[in-house]
Amino acid sequence: MLIKQKEMSASSYTENHKQRNPLGRRNYLYLTLIMAITDFKIKYDNSALGYLWSLLKPLLMFGTLYLVFSVFVRWQVENYRLYLLLGIILWNFLAEVTLNSMVLLEGKASILKKIYFPRWIIVIASSLTSILTLFLNIIVFFIFFIFSRDAHFHLSLLLLIVYFIELYILVVGLALLLCSLFPKFRDIHHIWEVFVQLGFWATPIIYPITIVPQKYHKLIFLNPVARIIQGCREALAIGTGTEFSSFTNHFIIISFAVCLFLVGLTLFNRLSRTFAEDL
Amino acid sequence: MINIEGLNKVFLLPHQRKTTLRQRFVSLFQRNTYEEFYALRDISLKVGKGEFVGIIGKNGSGKSTLLKLIASVLTPTSGEISVNGDVAPFLELGVGFQGDLSVKDNIFLYGALLGMTRKEIISKYDRIVEFSGLERFVDAKLKNLSSGMQVRLGFSITVAVESPILLVDEVLAVGDLDFQQKCYDTFRNFKKLGKTILFVSHDLDAIEKFSDRVILLKKGRIENYDIGHNVVAAYKATIDNRSFI
Repeated sequence: MLIKQKEMSASSYTENHKQRNPLGRRNYLYLTLIMAITDFKIKYDNSALGYLWSLLKPLLMFGTLYLVFSVFVRWQVENYRLYLLLGIILWNFLAEVTLNSMVLLEGKASILKKIYFPRWIIVIASSLTSILTLFLNIIVFFIFFIFSRDAHFHLSLLLLIVYFIELYILVVGLALLLCSLFPKFRDIHHIWEVFVQLGFWATPIIYPITIVPQKYHKLIFLNPVARIIQGCREALAIGTGTEFSSFTNHFIIISFAVCLFLVGLTLFNRLSRTFAEDL
Repeated sequence: MINIEGLNKVFLLPHQRKTTLRQRFVSLFQRNTYEEFYALRDISLKVGKGEFVGIIGKNGSGKSTLLKLIASVLTPTSGEISVNGDVAPFLELGVGFQGDLSVKDNIFLYGALLGMTRKEIISKYDRIVEFSGLERFVDAKLKNLSSGMQVRLGFSITVAVESPILLVDEVLAVGDLDFQQKCYDTFRNFKKLGKTILFVSHDLDAIEKFSDRVILLKKGRIENYDIGHNVVAAYKATIDNRSFI
């Protein structure tokens, strides 16, 4: 309520002012790209293993969880390794984009105060950096895929691409939403960190959905990311389950993702006008 | 070129800044109190193509705020600004520099920040390096350069943008005499080329020498906007009259 009030007073001032673009009809593609590449370079600069860390991190996490849940708990799930790895990779992507874009926004405060460029470039650049990581991770995933006994290439793997696109829209929307609130309300970063942790366990990433009592399924699948990850799992195995590869599932995910994206973008465009003052 | 009408910029100064949840929660029951601070009040001015306009005034008189508004970094509280053409902001040189990257990488990064495309930067790259005088250091990490060198690099890149409007905010103070001379030569050159320059400085001699007209800001209002010599003389007189407090 209170945030809203404050924002209102700030935005009503700027309402009648049309946003100008002093750089004319410039193409911001190159700026976005170079920002993403720079962030990727800097992230792994001065570390001995460099870019390898972007692969090692999810793999180490995978190793730990695999050890716990496959060796000690012994879940009998076909292709558990692949399911787990893919889930971790996708969830890490979400966590990285959303959290990094807020960090990046803060890090770029000095630039925002002096040079004009559309502020959404920062969010998109951050998402591109993570896409690069995601891409490397997916390659590793497919190396695992080739060496696993009961996984085979088939057409439904193409569905993964659809799910990735859906996830991307969803995640960018989320990042825009979080970033638009961040400069005035810094707590959002900490709150979101907790949510990412909670979400990791509330999403069928380390456990198969079958171990969850049926009555909670509805609750779990309120989360569109859970739908995406479950959908990916079913795309990995031929012919198992049709519920999540169905058109309805895609429809739900896409409408949710697009709504979130539009809300995020609108809010971001509105609130980013005062970023130079708030950051 | 630049047309400003009835421009106001208000900063809301909260009496107590609330950025955390607890502070917000506590303050739910109190009224939010803000102090309105008019950084700029009722500014109207026209700057024509090819004009060199100096801006002077004390600290906090709104000089930088005015430039930031023209550069679109800030949005006006009310009023209209229309700018015809691209703006090169010399507000602070090299703000986007990354110390861990090489000089070369930084040229591309900063160039892109200022709105250049990859092609443009490549075609201007040699000139940028030559102008900055850092030929020997292109592969060195930027953080190993002296601050003066970094400013020179920032200046060289911003000059290369070749936009018709330049906003210069007291950037020359850091460079050495050689570099300052080079900057002034550049500005003189730009003036010949018909570029519009807004120039904030405390160096009254330079202002008087270069400016066609000078704006004197006082507490966010335009106190005087006239031929350079008149304004500078008037400003000097106000300073001489009052002893420095």
